[in-house]
Amino acid sequence: MLLSIVIFLPLLGVIAIALLRGLGATAVKGIALGIGLITFIISLGLYIEFNADTATFQLGGTPIEWISSLGISYHIGIDGISLWLVLLTTFLTPVCILAAWDSVEKGLSGFMMSLLALETGMLGVFCSLDLFLFFVFWESMLIPMYFLIGIWGGERRIYATIKFVLYTMAGSALMLVGILALYFQNGNSFDLTTLSGPFEHSDLLFLAFFIAFAIKVPLFPFHTWLPDAHVEAPTVGSVILAGVLLKMGTYGIIRFCLPLFPDAAEKFTPLIVTLAVIGIIYGALVAMVQPDLKKLVAYSSVSHLGFVVLGLFSQSSAGLQGSMLQMINHGLSTGALFLLVGMIYERRHSRMIVDFGGLSKRMPIFAVIFMIVTLSSIGLPGLNGFVGEYMILLGSFVQGAFSKVYVVFATAGVILAAVYMLWMFQRVMFGTLDKTNENLPDLNAREIVVMLPLLLFIVWIGVYPKPFLSKMEKSVELVVTKVQTTEPAMGRLEKQKPRDPKLALQGTQYIQHEKREKEAEQ
Amino acid sequence: MPIEINWQLLMPELVIALTLIIVLVFDLFDAISKTILGWMTIVGAGIALWVSIQMHQADRVGTQFNEMFKVDSFSLFFNIIFLVSTILVVLISMSYLDRGDRKQGPYYLLILLATLGMMLMAAGNELIIVFLGLELMSLSLYVLAGYFRESPASSEAGMKYLLLGAFASAFFLYGIALIYGGAGTTSVPKIAQAITADDKSPLLLAGMFLLVVGFGFKVAIVPFHQWAPDVYEGAPTTIAAFISAGPKAAGFAAFLRIFMEALPNLQVEWSGVLILLAMLTMTVGNVIAIAQTNIKRMLAYSSIAHAGYVLIGLAAANDDGISSAMFYLLIYCVMNIGAFGAVILAKTEDGESLMISDYAGLGTRKPLLAIFMSVMLLSLAGFPPTAGFFGKFYIFKSAVGAGHIWLVIIGAINTAISAFYYLRVVVTMYMREPEEELEFSPYASTLVVGLILAVVGILLIGILPSLMLTPAQNSVF
Repeated sequence: MLLSIVIFLPLLGVIAIALLRGLGATAVKGIALGIGLITFIISLGLYIEFNADTATFQLGGTPIEWISSLGISYHIGIDGISLWLVLLTTFLTPVCILAAWDSVEKGLSGFMMSLLALETGMLGVFCSLDLFLFFVFWESMLIPMYFLIGIWGGERRIYATIKFVLYTMAGSALMLVGILALYFQNGNSFDLTTLSGPFEHSDLLFLAFFIAFAIKVPLFPFHTWLPDAHVEAPTVGSVILAGVLLKMGTYGIIRFCLPLFPDAAEKFTPLIVTLAVIGIIYGALVAMVQPDLKKLVAYSSVSHLGFVVLGLFSQSSAGLQGSMLQMINHGLSTGALFLLVGMIYERRHSRMIVDFGGLSKRMPIFAVIFMIVTLSSIGLPGLNGFVGEYMILLGSFVQGAFSKVYVVFATAGVILAAVYMLWMFQRVMFGTLDKTNENLPDLNAREIVVMLPLLLFIVWIGVYPKPFLSKMEKSVELVVTKVQTTEPAMGRLEKQKPRDPKLALQGTQYIQHEKREKEAEQ
Repeated sequence: MPIEINWQLLMPELVIALTLIIVLVFDLFDAISKTILGWMTIVGAGIALWVSIQMHQADRVGTQFNEMFKVDSFSLFFNIIFLVSTILVVLISMSYLDRGDRKQGPYYLLILLATLGMMLMAAGNELIIVFLGLELMSLSLYVLAGYFRESPASSEAGMKYLLLGAFASAFFLYGIALIYGGAGTTSVPKIAQAITADDKSPLLLAGMFLLVVGFGFKVAIVPFHQWAPDVYEGAPTTIAAFISAGPKAAGFAAFLRIFMEALPNLQVEWSGVLILLAMLTMTVGNVIAIAQTNIKRMLAYSSIAHAGYVLIGLAAANDDGISSAMFYLLIYCVMNIGAFGAVILAKTEDGESLMISDYAGLGTRKPLLAIFMSVMLLSLAGFPPTAGFFGKFYIFKSAVGAGHIWLVIIGAINTAISAFYYLRVVVTMYMREPEEELEFSPYASTLVVGLILAVVGILLIGILPSLMLTPAQNSVF
């Protein structure tokens, strides 16, 4: 019940704004912020109620029959994986509403309605346990995002928004076929909790799902929509896009691709990890040469998400937990970066790095916050980015199911991140102050209030990540067991000791080989 | 031998026939306002709709006239589709026609006649009856397409439709003749008995293909679709809405009845053809729609593409396939009439705005109109939570169930392609600034009522598909 309230309260806000829009701009903003905050507070209840001792889905209540003749039900619930993405969503939305307080010039009520409708769509994606319901939310969240970019975006907004929608739809078209094929193999049911493999044509099914998610992540070479969408989207749109929407892709991988098709996942791991590493390095290199701040941050997203995918396919508990944590971290730090870029853009109406320089003299508060966020994005120890990246690299290197060479190359991405971020910071903040920038005001109280919660979590996760990791542990381990071997008992044994990836791979294959031989004998 | 007639079974048809006569008589009196005729049509169709729903729920079925006329839940469900379409079309027509120089009486009369023809087609259990219904419907439509005699475009549309439609009818009739030659009967159940799995005479196969051609013309399947864009563009917009909705459903009703009930033993032969036609129809319709700048032509190509989606259900040829085609036709009719209705609503002083670029800035200047149009287009594109999403989903599901994975993949990719041109209109309305300020006429209340009904229906069925899904699933022959 609590979960349903969290999902649909923002939708209620949409209706409330539609009815009360006549009351004026302040009322609309007030309603939106109020709804956003209440949703966040209620979602904290989820955190408290959540039982971390089990990997099962919880807090969803009993499924309600929706379209009974097709075996479709309204079935929701969260585990340690979705809990964090739900919280990230409910956390970022009020931050975004507050950040957009003065920057929306036209159609304010439509803007807030889109933002809240988007929140419902995203929450629904993370909480659905019915494949049909999942797909409905997955598709319906496209429309508010389409309007957010298309109406309130920059100059090439129409191109960007159509590209975004078409890329996503092309991917989801394949996923729809995959969902339907699973339905018939699952005894005519869309229920995710009853799905268990092995499935026929699991390679194709894996790809049908994976491509849809890879476009969303976006994994190289499906990433081309992302810079366009980010650059043209309004600040808040970029924050939501980077903060939550991209996570729908990685969430899909961890929720569907890995546990449902472990064999196929293992088969495609070399290819996917190669793409992830290319994404890490390519994203970083392209980010380095961007003259536009927002584009730089956008390409850094491609690089960061490459790390997440790398960790997801490492088949190790540490790698997966690191990926989960890095999803949250990326939402916080990249979201914060987009907000900061938006704040400077509102003052100067330019995002070109060459237009700035020496800003730290005029805007000390801005510079301090920017510094912290930059360091968090680079992965400085003591801030959140470090923990996530470290766990991913450690997990992949020590226990990873692929060659260590990948990890070596991925680590280069960490260094490159330092290069492009610090270089950018230096060019914007230090040096001589341009005359046109002399009158830029520093952050006002509202903007500081927007940034503070983000900074709080950036430091918190960096210093003491345990509360975050402990809630997701069981659920992540369940995924790892499912991936490592189709035989759960063996998987648990395997996990006890750190293993040489080559040996482990042979081990897993050996078990499967033996199993097959036994079956053949029978 | 006297024929026993069960009048109760014929109630929907009788109500429409009676309404027809009443409209005909009242049209003679110059003193009354002609808008009354429209309301009479709505009331008549409404009663027939209510009766059909009652009969469907009570499962009151049976055959009439030596099994030539079959009332079953299948035909009753299609009656619901036709009557809903007719009511919506009349609602969007009333203000459109209400200009001093236009005769309204014959318009409603012909719409009722066409509706009667459609109902005959759905209930025809005999190829000749189906043909009679088809002709009754088609002849009325030819006249309606050319109804605005003062407009050259309308006259051209009527003439073109008549010529090509006559060809199609000839193909259809020839197909019937050949099937009669092969099976020795024109009765649907008897044909099924006459064709055994190992005895497939070339006559039957040729007849079957000719029927595909005839139906292909009527429901505008590629490569028999050439007439549709020209006719839709030239015909009065309300009639374009009408032609794209009810008659298409009627064509599919007879298509389903004949192919599933009379020719099931030829399924091996026709399912391959239908799969090919479905792929062609979806792809050609959607790809050409992208290039259109006139919204009526765009909707014409879109309606061609939608015939392709329905064909997927036919090609699947299982129970789910049939009920998904029926479900889809119902919501397709509502959303397509709604889309055309929104086009009519966007009327300026010097006529309708037919170029997509005219819609720039409607999102802020005419918010209600923009919302109507957006809901319809998003539903046509198949976005949740509209009914169009579930309709497509169900069709795809039936085809995956029948093992036609590739057909579904093509269909799903087509959905993504179609999103491009539907969204382009939405983009124009909400995201572009108008180049010139067009003066739009005030809304007509009947039109707005019709559109509200369509929007509510689309959203309601989208959120609670079971409302119409269960009836559709219970209506499979």
